[in-house]
Amino acid sequence: MAASVDLSRVTFIVLREMRKPILAIIIVYSLSIAGMIIMPGPVVNGEIQYLSIFHAFYFMTYTATTTGFGEIPFPFSNAQRSWAIICLYISVITWFYAIGSIIRLIQNPYLSKALAEHEFSNKVERISGEFIIICGFGDTGSVLARGLSDARLTAVVIDSNEERIKALKLRDYKVPMPGLFADASVPKHLIEAGIRRADCKAIVSVTSNEETNLKISALARILNPNIDVITKSKVEIWEETLATIGGKVHIIDPFKTYAQLLASSIEQRYFHSFNNWLVGDKSTELKQPLCPPKDGLWIICGFGRMGQEIKRALNKQGLKTAIIDPKPISPDEDNVETFVLGLTTARTLKLAGIEQAVGIVTGTDDDGQNVGILLNARSINPHLFTVVRQNSHENAAAFKAAKADMIMQPSLVAARRIMLLLKAPLLKPFFKYFVVNQDRAHEMNDVISWVQESIGDKVPLLTSFHVTQKNAKALADFLENDSFQLGDLLKDPRDRTQLLDLVVLVAKSAGESVEVLPGSNYSVKINDQLLLCGTDFSYRLFRATVNNEYKLYHVRTGLRQPRSYFMQWYVRKMGREGL
Amino acid sequence: MNLEKVIFGFFIVLAMTLNFGFFLGEISNPAHHNVNELFAVVVVNFIATGLKLGDRSQVGAVLLSTSLVADLQLIVAVFYWTSAVHINMVGLTPDVMTSIVALSGGALLANVVSVVILVVDTLMSRL
Repeated sequence: MAASVDLSRVTFIVLREMRKPILAIIIVYSLSIAGMIIMPGPVVNGEIQYLSIFHAFYFMTYTATTTGFGEIPFPFSNAQRSWAIICLYISVITWFYAIGSIIRLIQNPYLSKALAEHEFSNKVERISGEFIIICGFGDTGSVLARGLSDARLTAVVIDSNEERIKALKLRDYKVPMPGLFADASVPKHLIEAGIRRADCKAIVSVTSNEETNLKISALARILNPNIDVITKSKVEIWEETLATIGGKVHIIDPFKTYAQLLASSIEQRYFHSFNNWLVGDKSTELKQPLCPPKDGLWIICGFGRMGQEIKRALNKQGLKTAIIDPKPISPDEDNVETFVLGLTTARTLKLAGIEQAVGIVTGTDDDGQNVGILLNARSINPHLFTVVRQNSHENAAAFKAAKADMIMQPSLVAARRIMLLLKAPLLKPFFKYFVVNQDRAHEMNDVISWVQESIGDKVPLLTSFHVTQKNAKALADFLENDSFQLGDLLKDPRDRTQLLDLVVLVAKSAGESVEVLPGSNYSVKINDQLLLCGTDFSYRLFRATVNNEYKLYHVRTGLRQPRSYFMQWYVRKMGREGL
Repeated sequence: MNLEKVIFGFFIVLAMTLNFGFFLGEISNPAHHNVNELFAVVVVNFIATGLKLGDRSQVGAVLLSTSLVADLQLIVAVFYWTSAVHINMVGLTPDVMTSIVALSGGALLANVVSVVILVVDTLMSRL
């Protein structure tokens, strides 16, 4: 519907702009043709030859467009020639005027915008299968789009900056990613982006403006009550408003997420590398221990949102904290070992106790300052564990060279968090399972060892699999009156003594009960959600198994189910189960 | 090893090879085409079709359809032969023979498709 409205607008603009030039051409042509037929021609066989209307029109057509085929059907008389001179100048000028109008029309910003919108909504309509709307193509948006493309998920992008949409169109994505330069907080544009379609799974609003994000989220909820709303927020008051719009709303706070990651890394030394590996960070090795010191003093430079979240996380782990900030902190703040007022310099670092400190967090919103503090602090105490905040993606090279233990990039943290929410929502209970209980560390190590052994350098695949009639026909049919053991499902259909390179991290049944690392005797039920981790190839074999009743029978029993009626009869006659 | 695959593969390939044997030779020359061989082709094709009945997979359905095509072509060829020799009594003139061998050639093509699908399917599941 939206498309046809746009198209009529385009037609309207074209008609309105072209009205005058078309009128001018018609008048000039008709006068010229009329003149040409009136003008007496040459005398042939004693008769004056006049041009016919057809010949006059033919002459005008090539004269007005400056082609000039000559004088037909006979060489002109001088009367005709003098009229032709007048016609030529006037009609050529009229043509130039018309062409100029066409060019002006093409350059008309309203027309090109209407055309772009029309093209965009056409592209959106052509998307088959599920897709996601991304509002805002900044650092977070572009990382997210790249991740979605790698996972073969289509996204529709809206950004209010034309340059960003141009940048989007230059990227080489593996799936179509239509982009529109428009204000996403206008409902019309959200509808054009397909928010009302049933295939639209989620809307992610990650524009740089918090207020716009809030507006988009609320609009999205009104336009489609079933859609997942995901938004980035760094301000707590917005979060309260967002939480009340109803439905599934996920608010991503990069600082809180990162503080949690730091806390988990303190408890579990492989947590950080495993987490990075799962989200597809190619630079991390799987079993690369990260050991933030577990006791001692941490210095936090800059007590903004990041500083506050990290302090809270560190205190929860029983660590002492010292703070350096140019603004005084509230006197209610507890667990503060030392507070130094002022910018972070060698002097203030010493006052905060840098010599005895074990770790430092540089969390100001100025990248230059963050790197400066890092170098300063290291020269005083080279054994520090360093956590540094990188605000802009452009400064990546400088931060990499600075060799901090952990680099916190808010846009990247948010993008990865959103990516996991979309691709593998069950990962949250998985990590929670390990974080709540220290004794489960060995289980996690087992998983990591398994993953390292069976996936190794290959690209990891992390995906949710929903056991439904659509995704797993054969398995769903079988489950209607029986149960299936998970261990059998993960056997290699080519040779059932081998296991697929695939592990189920979490199984969530329809009754909302969640089982982390289900054993091989876990019985799979219909509508179960499985979080699978493994190789792409194994996942393909797995899907082949659950969709083919013969393969399913084979992995379950080790026997081959007879296919043809003849063999079925033979097997029955021999009193056997299968071949 | 899967016993069913062995029997299945045997009959499908045999149907094709016998069919090829009958087809081989100068197309209009009755001396190059043996009636007993045509009989064997028809019988083996029917057995192959029978073995394909009952498979509920996609590949099974396609295999069955190729077999049905071969059966249809061979039945027409056999009827033509019978009518020429026993009913119309025109005998195996070159144009009759050409039609019969051409029909068996069509059946051969269906049998080749059947074997190709069988091989591809086996390779895919070994992937």
